Amino acid sequence: MTKTQDARSALSGKAALVGIGETEYVRGTDQSVLQMVLAASMAAITDAGLKPSDVDGIIPPPGFVAWDEIAAHLGIPDVRFTATPQMGGASPTAALQTALLAVASGTAEVVLIPIGWNGYSALRPRPDARPNRRRFSAAFFDTVRDYYAPYGLRSASFWYSLYLQRYVSLYDVPPEAAGAVALACRAHAQLNDTALMRGRPLSMEEYLASPYISEPLRKFDCCVETDCAAAVVVTTPERAADLPHTPVLVLGAAEGHPDRPDELTNRPDVLSLGLERAAPRAFSMAGVTPGDMDFLQLYDCFTHVVLLELEALGYAEPGGAADFVKDGNIQLGGRLPLNTSGGMMSQGHCWGMNHVVEAVRQLRHDGGAAQVQGCELGLVTGYGDLGDGSIAILARGDR
Amino acid sequence: MTAPAERKPPRPDELAQEFYRAALAAGGLCVQTCSSCGQTSHPPRMYCPRCSSGEWSFQPASGRGTVYSFTVSHYSVEPYWKERLPYTTIVVELEEGPRVVAAGQGWDEGVQLGAAVDVSVEALSEDFAFLWATPAGSADDE
Repeated sequence: MTKTQDARSALSGKAALVGIGETEYVRGTDQSVLQMVLAASMAAITDAGLKPSDVDGIIPPPGFVAWDEIAAHLGIPDVRFTATPQMGGASPTAALQTALLAVASGTAEVVLIPIGWNGYSALRPRPDARPNRRRFSAAFFDTVRDYYAPYGLRSASFWYSLYLQRYVSLYDVPPEAAGAVALACRAHAQLNDTALMRGRPLSMEEYLASPYISEPLRKFDCCVETDCAAAVVVTTPERAADLPHTPVLVLGAAEGHPDRPDELTNRPDVLSLGLERAAPRAFSMAGVTPGDMDFLQLYDCFTHVVLLELEALGYAEPGGAADFVKDGNIQLGGRLPLNTSGGMMSQGHCWGMNHVVEAVRQLRHDGGAAQVQGCELGLVTGYGDLGDGSIAILARGDR
Repeated sequence: MTAPAERKPPRPDELAQEFYRAALAAGGLCVQTCSSCGQTSHPPRMYCPRCSSGEWSFQPASGRGTVYSFTVSHYSVEPYWKERLPYTTIVVELEEGPRVVAAGQGWDEGVQLGAAVDVSVEALSEDFAFLWATPAGSADDE
């Protein structure tokens, strides 16, 4: 074992998720992003049995709201630590690594990680629509402007199709494989009162009949634009011992990025996600293997990305995820349940923070109808900004 | 009748602007080439990814390549592309190494990975050249 691995293994379990909070997942809201982020933050702090004045670290999202307004509006008087992973949808899970480093080093003791947006309302031409005031700061937006958008590729489904079609063509990935991901998420949403797609079950026939947006992505391969916010609170295991909920420990956490993170098409292998680099680092740190997981909460902006993530995590060989997701394997009751809240496909798009919240709920054994019975270990991933990856391996702590 | 929708060229800056201006000046695709080791890069980079040299020039490319990936889009909110649904976009791996994104034209028979492609440029502004990807040897290239 290298010195780096030793140092990271020593950090395993040195942070605990102790508070979770969410707003409603809706399409259409009168709330501003700031209002929703503050509401989710206050809910997470309260859930942790803490007060805003206990918070001393803030990891704000890579856009939409800023740490200083969060501190000022919530009444956090003494902020000792701020940082933001600039990774789009990979940021919330990457923030668990950042928070771990902060609390394990004593730099901060109680770290708040919120995110939220008007993913539906800001894009709709309503006179009263409240925009997302602060955009993300990533160079890939310039790449898109100068090299992709001129060809009619203006949003994420189009950019990602540029490499997902290669995946499908190279390995003859059948549409039913992506459909299995969509159906698992939709089935799990039927068990979740907060899910946007509750009451709207989906069959494989309906999936296959849904129109293409940009091949290979059909409408039902795409997650749902949502107005929402979610937040978590992270502290030390020592502090967690005095708080109300069974703590959820961060056993392993890592981020990883493709070579040439600001552009998609010129990577040595366009099918190699940042997660492929992050996953071994996280498993090594945690001292566990993919086979030890009781559930997966995988970032599901698009179903084919989930298939590639399964391969990056080691659950299948390149091109082999289609076999892994067959036969109800990723549904509750199957071999390895995936996205038990309904995920971004069917609960709502909260930049993957809803996956972190769901993982905590599962490991508290507070998962309701979607509970994975007796679960002790699970993982969450993030994916964003043309392939950045993040992963956190979480465990039910002692009480 | 309304006028046909037009393409709106971006206003690139820094190295992207230099990339397009080089193509417009040469009347064909150019790729950034390291003056020290000859490595080609796209999009252009401030330092060579192989030898870290900061010296480079844009050299004319053959325009020949193969299909590395592609997508066929069936939805758009942009008038120009709405009139052309479904439209094909191709990632071309150039003979010189780099890959470029280009609009497909003449692919009525469908697109396959590895198919031979010719890339040509069309001036849309002083700072932007639109790239077309046609099947190699097709009439558009004559």
